[in-house]
Amino acid sequence: MSRLLLRFLNPPALVLAVIFGIALQTSLFSYYPFLYLQPDIVLLLVVWCALRRNFIEGGILTIIMVSLAEAHSSAPQGLFLSSYMAIYLTLRALARYLMLDRLSTLVIVTLFVSIAWKLLNLLILYLLGLSENQWRHTISLMAPGAIVEGICAIWVYRWLERFDWFTAKDPRARQELSEDLQLEEEM
Amino acid sequence: MFKYLKEYRFYIVLFFFIIIPIVAIDTATHTPRPYRFYDRVAVGITAPVQRLIAWSLDLVVSAFNNYVYLWQTRQTNLRLLEENRKLLNLIVNLREAQDENVRLRKLLDFKEEFNLQTIAARVIAKDVSTEFRAIRINRGEEDGIRKDMAVINNEGIVGRILRTAKKTSDVVTILDLLSAVDAIDKRSRVRGIVEGMTDQLCQLKFALRTDDILANDLLISSGLGGVFPKGIPVGVVSKVKKEAYGITQTVEVRPSVDFSRLEEVLVVADSQAVPFHLTAPQEVVSRIGEAASATAAATNLGTPASGSNPQKEL
Repeated sequence: MSRLLLRFLNPPALVLAVIFGIALQTSLFSYYPFLYLQPDIVLLLVVWCALRRNFIEGGILTIIMVSLAEAHSSAPQGLFLSSYMAIYLTLRALARYLMLDRLSTLVIVTLFVSIAWKLLNLLILYLLGLSENQWRHTISLMAPGAIVEGICAIWVYRWLERFDWFTAKDPRARQELSEDLQLEEEM
Repeated sequence: MFKYLKEYRFYIVLFFFIIIPIVAIDTATHTPRPYRFYDRVAVGITAPVQRLIAWSLDLVVSAFNNYVYLWQTRQTNLRLLEENRKLLNLIVNLREAQDENVRLRKLLDFKEEFNLQTIAARVIAKDVSTEFRAIRINRGEEDGIRKDMAVINNEGIVGRILRTAKKTSDVVTILDLLSAVDAIDKRSRVRGIVEGMTDQLCQLKFALRTDDILANDLLISSGLGGVFPKGIPVGVVSKVKKEAYGITQTVEVRPSVDFSRLEEVLVVADSQAVPFHLTAPQEVVSRIGEAASATAAATNLGTPASGSNPQKEL
C-alpha cells in the first residue's frame, strides 16, 4: 500500500524537484565565470520523462516543467514549450527504434539533445525574427553547454534512477509491486 | 464513442502535444507571458532558495576575502592608504565641480531638478537559459516595484522590470534579445535603438549611414518611451562598420554596466526626471558632463550624490 502511495506521489515530487533544481541552477550559476557553465535541469528531466515515463504522463510532466522554466526566463511565450516538446516527441519516436536504456547511452543522448535543443531554439527564434544577434552566442556556448549537461546528467540520472526505484516507478520495482499485489490477492 | 477514443488515444494525445506549443507561442509580441497563479506559487518556492544560495555564496566569498587573504593585509593596507589619499584629493576636486555645477544651474535658470526616486535591490538569480539575459532581484510588489520601471546602477542602465511577484521581480537587461532602449549619441545627438546582441555587446540599430557616430562615443538614454530617465549612460560605441551599400551602419555598443559582476541595482520609481545637462547649450554640456561624471564617482566613494535618493537599504 505504501509503495502504491509512493508511486502516486512520484510525479508531484518530480515537479517539486524541478522547482528546486531551477532555483539551484539560476542562483548557483549566476556568478562569473560559472554563468557560462549553467546546466539545464529541465532538459535533463525532459529526456528522462521521454525515455522512462509513459507517453501521456511524460508529456504532461514536460508541459508542467517547461511552464516552470518559462516563469524563470525572459524567453518569448511558447518558445520553450515548442522546443522542449519537440525534443520530447523526437526522443519518444527514437526510443521505438533504438535501445536507450543504459546510463551511458542516456548521457550520450543528453549531449546530442543539448546541441539539438539549442539549434531548435535558434530555428524558432529565426522564425520569430529574433535570431539576428543570437546565433553567434548560441554556437559559441553550444559545446561547453553540452559537456556540462553531459557531466550533470551522470549524477542527475543516477539520482533519478534511485528516486524511481524508491517510489516504485522503475520497471523492475513496478514488476515487484505487481507480483506482491497478486500474491496478496491470492492469499 | 469511448471505444474510438480509447483506440485512437495515442493520436489524440499526440495531436494535443503538438498543438499546445503551437497555440502557446506568441508570434505577435514575442514577449514572455505574465505570471499566472501557479507561476507565482513556483516563484514563491524558488525565490527563498535562490535568496538563501545567494546569501550563502556571499558568506563564502566574504569568508574567503577576510581569512584566506589575511596574509596580504599589510600590503593591502598600504595600498588602501595610498588610494585613500588620492580619493581625498579627488573629493576636494569633486566638491569644486559640484559648486561649479550649482553656479551654472543658477546661471541658466533651470527650474527642474534631477532627483531620481530609487529603490535599492540585490541580484539574486539569473535567467534559467543562457540564451536570454534576464536577472531576478530581491524586491517585488511589496516594495513598490511595478512593471516597466527602469533599473540602473551607478554605471548606467541595467534594464527594465519585466514581471513582478510579491517579493521578487524579473529584470530584462539591455543585453537581452527582447530589450530595446532609445538612445542618443552624446557628442553628435544622433538617435538610435540599442538592442541586445551577446553577453557583452549590444547593437545600435536604425542609425543612418550618414549619421556621425564614432568609436568611443558615449550613448545615453533619450528619455523617449517613458521607461528610462533621460541622460543615463547606456554604453560606449566599440565598433562602427559602414558597408559599401545600404542605408544604415552597423554600430556595436559595449554597455556601460559590467553585467558579469552585477550585484546591486537601483529601480527608478519616478522616471520623469530630466537631467539639466541634456537641455543645456552644447558648449556647457562638456563641462557639466565632467561634473556629472565626477558626481557619479562621488557616489562610489560613499558621498551622498545629488542625483540619487535610495529609499531602501539592501
